[in-house]
Amino acid sequence: MSATIVVSGAAVLVPGADSARALAAGPESGAAAVDPAAIVGKKGLRYKDRATQLGYALAARALADAGLVGEEGTTVPASSIGVVASSNYGNLDTVTRALDTIREETVNGTSPMDLPNASSNVIASSVAIRFGLRGPNLMVCNGPTSGLDAVHWAITMIQAGRVDRVLVLGVEPDNEVVRKLTGGRPSVDGGAAIVVERAEAVQERSGTVKAVLGGYVRTAAVRDVLDRLAASGQPARWEVPGGAAAALDAELLPGVPRVGLPESAGEPSGALGVLQCAAAVGWFEDGGAGAVYALAGGESADASAGLVLLAPGAA
Amino acid sequence: MISRPIVGMGAVASIGTDVDEVFDSLCAGRTGHHELRGFDSTRFRAKYAYEVDDRPAPGQDVPARATRLLTEAIAQAVADAGIGEDLSGIPVLIGTGLRELRSAELWWREGTPFTDAGLHFGTALRERFGADVTHTFSNACSASLYALALGSDLLEQGETDTVIVAGVDVLTESMFGLLERVHPVAPDRVRPFDRNRTGVLMGDGAGAVVLRREDGGRKAHGRLRGVAVNCDAYHVTAPHPEGIAEAMRTAYGLAGIKPADVDLVMTHGTGTLLNDEAEATALAEVFGADAGRPLLTAVKSMTGHTSGASGLLNLIVGLRAMNEGRVPPTVGLEDPVDEAAKFRWVTGEAATDQSMRVAQLNAFGFGGINAVAIVEADK
Repeated sequence: MSATIVVSGAAVLVPGADSARALAAGPESGAAAVDPAAIVGKKGLRYKDRATQLGYALAARALADAGLVGEEGTTVPASSIGVVASSNYGNLDTVTRALDTIREETVNGTSPMDLPNASSNVIASSVAIRFGLRGPNLMVCNGPTSGLDAVHWAITMIQAGRVDRVLVLGVEPDNEVVRKLTGGRPSVDGGAAIVVERAEAVQERSGTVKAVLGGYVRTAAVRDVLDRLAASGQPARWEVPGGAAAALDAELLPGVPRVGLPESAGEPSGALGVLQCAAAVGWFEDGGAGAVYALAGGESADASAGLVLLAPGAA
Repeated sequence: MISRPIVGMGAVASIGTDVDEVFDSLCAGRTGHHELRGFDSTRFRAKYAYEVDDRPAPGQDVPARATRLLTEAIAQAVADAGIGEDLSGIPVLIGTGLRELRSAELWWREGTPFTDAGLHFGTALRERFGADVTHTFSNACSASLYALALGSDLLEQGETDTVIVAGVDVLTESMFGLLERVHPVAPDRVRPFDRNRTGVLMGDGAGAVVLRREDGGRKAHGRLRGVAVNCDAYHVTAPHPEGIAEAMRTAYGLAGIKPADVDLVMTHGTGTLLNDEAEATALAEVFGADAGRPLLTAVKSMTGHTSGASGLLNLIVGLRAMNEGRVPPTVGLEDPVDEAAKFRWVTGEAATDQSMRVAQLNAFGFGGINAVAIVEADK
């Protein structure tokens, strides 16, 4: 029999929303960029790319929200916390900058400090090093569904007994390279983090359940995703991909309110699924009840993924 | 204890276009070492790599090479497993260090067409195989063994009866350049565990396997007995013997074996100063008095560092080695570092007529992400 898996901590950092509840209510438009140094201090940020800096700030907030860090570091064994990070654009800035330098000045012009940042898993591994998290460490770069996929792999590793809890991060930086790739659209330049944990482990350490995780599906058609999620309960709220809401068939899930990031929030890409989970947590904190369906991808993507989140009482 | 049959295998590297050719090349000591084939070599101090020779013309690079190698390896593996090319509904887990970042580089500098849908492999695998349960993990040099661990978990949890695990990487200019930048003298070839090694050079490669819950009466290449994954949480590029040793012990525990049961170790063996010492130190600590028992080899001496693909290439070569009783040599290993001196290295010629049942596969990545797998011959 599989264990109940829950969300025990959440953090959000996007322009105009710095908490799960603020995200659920909708980020304010025209807000200032997220400043990681204001949250974790300047120490250790030099040489780290924007995505990793955002990851540090999100990790600090989410681990604190879950009650997993105290004065002396983590409050549970280091090997009991894993990390799964999701990002598609994460290190494109380092890759293209190093490439430009090689072409224009030869390899002698490059900085050795860029080497770790050239590896796409730098966000996940850097967060593990900064916070001393020695469980499995995974970087998911899986396109638009990446964030929900990351939550799925956290659940899978916990169910397999590899680890008791996983910090799941979804983050996307905004920069010139990303905008060129997206046809001029800025990215969300922030993200979200949640702590995914075995319900029993939360209870043992007197933590707080923020949401209960239900089924996950990744398949070609949106309709099939929704059909297969139905085993986890009928939805009261549907988190849809930002901007794509209009593209989804109006006949799908009739009567269920569709919510998503406003177009002005920028392209969420690999951060989307984790932002959706955090928004569901925020909605539950504000008294929302019933199942939340999160959907990423869509008919224009290589596939769609869906995840069900239930209110804390469902544990 | 898990024991899942591996019923299909596929591989492509600088030294061969399928599993047979790759294995035969390795046993013959043939390396893919060659002057840079796709980059302007005047930009680099290092002049050599281990690339697949598939460019339209020397020095002229083309996008989507990683995708091409990956789809080729998967096509071979599914044909070998006899499951056909419709992969809809079958999880396909891809471990990679660099995704399609080479295509992104060509887009950035040369203006070749590219969109963000091409950064991960799901888009191409949907087109080619109808695959829709695809997952691209960018987990540095342990990526494909991390993917193997997750694929194994899916089988154990009853999510699927079949899972395809693959690994792929090709050279990117940024990684090739930054890797040589950190060496005081540019590396000239990969000589794992040798006292006079000069560092690591990259290689192109892809590997794929089909894992099943049951063999269904089909002859398997071998069985997956366990995969351990962890993180040192120590340093972004330097490995840590303690975390590596811990991953090995966890893998033995998952497989229900003792170090003395291991007949063959397919090392990570990158030829860097730091990896080889850390890996040898961890192996010496874990094997203790049994250090002289298993055979050891490092095929990166012939394939170069195939990054995310390397763990799975080690698995494929390790299974083949056990089934044929032949172990490829570590080319260029003449004078082992002190930490590695007590082991039984295969050097010079391939070892033949060996009786082996259990192989250990190592893969360690930037950020201290370690993966160790145990496979068993299906005899």
